[in-house]
Amino acid sequence: MGFTDLVRRVFLLDLVKGLRLTFSYQRPSATCTEQYPLERPVVAERYRGAPRLNNHPETGETLCIACNLCSIACPENLIVVGWARTEDRKKRLTTFTYDLSRCMFCGLCEDACPVDALELTQDFEIAHYSREGMIWDRQALEEGPQPVRYTR
Amino acid sequence: MAQNAIDFLLVHPLILAVIKILIVFAVLAGIVAYLVYVERKVLSFMQARLGPMRVGPWGLLQPVADGIKLLLKEDIIPAGADKFVFLLAPAISVTAAFAVFSVIPFAGNFFISDINIGLLFILGVSSLGIFGIILGGWSSNSHYPLLGALRSGAQLVSYEVAASMALVGVLLISNSLSMVEIVNRQYQMGVWNIFLQPVAFFIYLIASVAETNRNPFDLPEAESELTAGFHTEYSGFRFALYFLAEYTNMVVVSCVAVTMFLGGWLRPFANIQALDFLRFAPVVALLGVAAFILWLGLKSLVRGERYFFVALAAVCVVLAGMVAIPAALNALQGIFWFSIKVLVLLYAFIWYRATFPRFRYDQLMNVGWRWMIPIGMGNVIVTAVVRYFVSLHSPSTPAAGLGG
Repeated sequence: MGFTDLVRRVFLLDLVKGLRLTFSYQRPSATCTEQYPLERPVVAERYRGAPRLNNHPETGETLCIACNLCSIACPENLIVVGWARTEDRKKRLTTFTYDLSRCMFCGLCEDACPVDALELTQDFEIAHYSREGMIWDRQALEEGPQPVRYTR
Repeated sequence: MAQNAIDFLLVHPLILAVIKILIVFAVLAGIVAYLVYVERKVLSFMQARLGPMRVGPWGLLQPVADGIKLLLKEDIIPAGADKFVFLLAPAISVTAAFAVFSVIPFAGNFFISDINIGLLFILGVSSLGIFGIILGGWSSNSHYPLLGALRSGAQLVSYEVAASMALVGVLLISNSLSMVEIVNRQYQMGVWNIFLQPVAFFIYLIASVAETNRNPFDLPEAESELTAGFHTEYSGFRFALYFLAEYTNMVVVSCVAVTMFLGGWLRPFANIQALDFLRFAPVVALLGVAAFILWLGLKSLVRGERYFFVALAAVCVVLAGMVAIPAALNALQGIFWFSIKVLVLLYAFIWYRATFPRFRYDQLMNVGWRWMIPIGMGNVIVTAVVRYFVSLHSPSTPAAGLGG
């Protein structure tokens, strides 16, 4: 045991080192806590959250062409697309249901969509009080989730 | 007639003592309650989190909520428990913890009593607290409490010896057992005892952590091995009493350490006139607290809390203005320096808890019997020898050659 080793053991320098480390963690910038309802968390850019059916920004009409590709792509078979033929024999979207309670947010429906109508957004507040509430219809999908904003 | 009654009340020693006891008890109960809050906060910051934030602004009402919760809880007495002892044990712990304050001098002019065996009284009464722990563990009629109590008893008895050895060193320098006299002695010598007895201070620091069952010596309540140790079967108010006793003991050992080693109510370099500007430290401290509160308020995310913090900071500034009055400044000197030193030691307790892992039981006994007690004994012998020769040659200024 060398001299420095002896000094280190007698004066408990290793303990002092530990104390210094814990002390330094008190600086406010070290705190990781996010005060959720007061502070909104920033989710990743490619986060896949609540689904949304996009409308055309100018006309307000749905972008969905009722091609049913998302429904076919879905591993859980939770998308049901309803359509009707117009007089000129074009398919037009009537209903669209999306069962969020079974969704695993894999994003395959989003990838399958040829017109970027269906999109998994960065919204994450999709909890609901009933199972029925987790099944979103066309109106809910177009509006997106409407979480209560926490203000005090 | 009424004048006579007022005179009687003012002069009678018992009345004054009772008033002092009430003040000390009320203030200490509040301090202990908020010590829990401070501990949770400091511990959180050291672990990169925020701690209690929800009850009141920055969780300031958390101790109140905790207290109400504990008072409203069901009081469970286990089947087969020795009921009388079970009920008595927490009361013993709390009483022993609070009784020590009766001889602690908080300031040169504020102490409940100054008895000539003050130090013996402290050692004796604080040792009684062990009874509360052992009886509580035994009377629970349960395995974990019994094992926890046995460990606790062994630990406390071992480290009590080491702590006493450390205090004997101070005793040899001070020539007195009275706490007030010990502080006065440090004033006369012009140096705090920590500089004459660094080894003793070191031993007392470690032994006091062990005596209060705090990390890294919190074996009696090692939750991974013994659930909650001696208070496993306690709930509600009686558990609160044990909790109170533990934190009061922290304050007690800090107060004793400050009185014995850190100059009690004396300000740093009390006899150097050039440093008299230090007497404005209370004003500066209050202004610093105000600035800190203002900063907290600016960081707060809730608008109502921001107003609260600004108001609180304003109150602190007003208090600082009131303290700046010379008469108030003089009256508060002793208590201010005493509290600052105690707070630093209490902070150190929490700091240790955040840093050090727990000792194993055999390591604990090893450190206690093979290191702390022999070093303490050696310190006593060296001090006694040096003291004998120093006082022989210069009887007027004893202990001056010890580095003073």
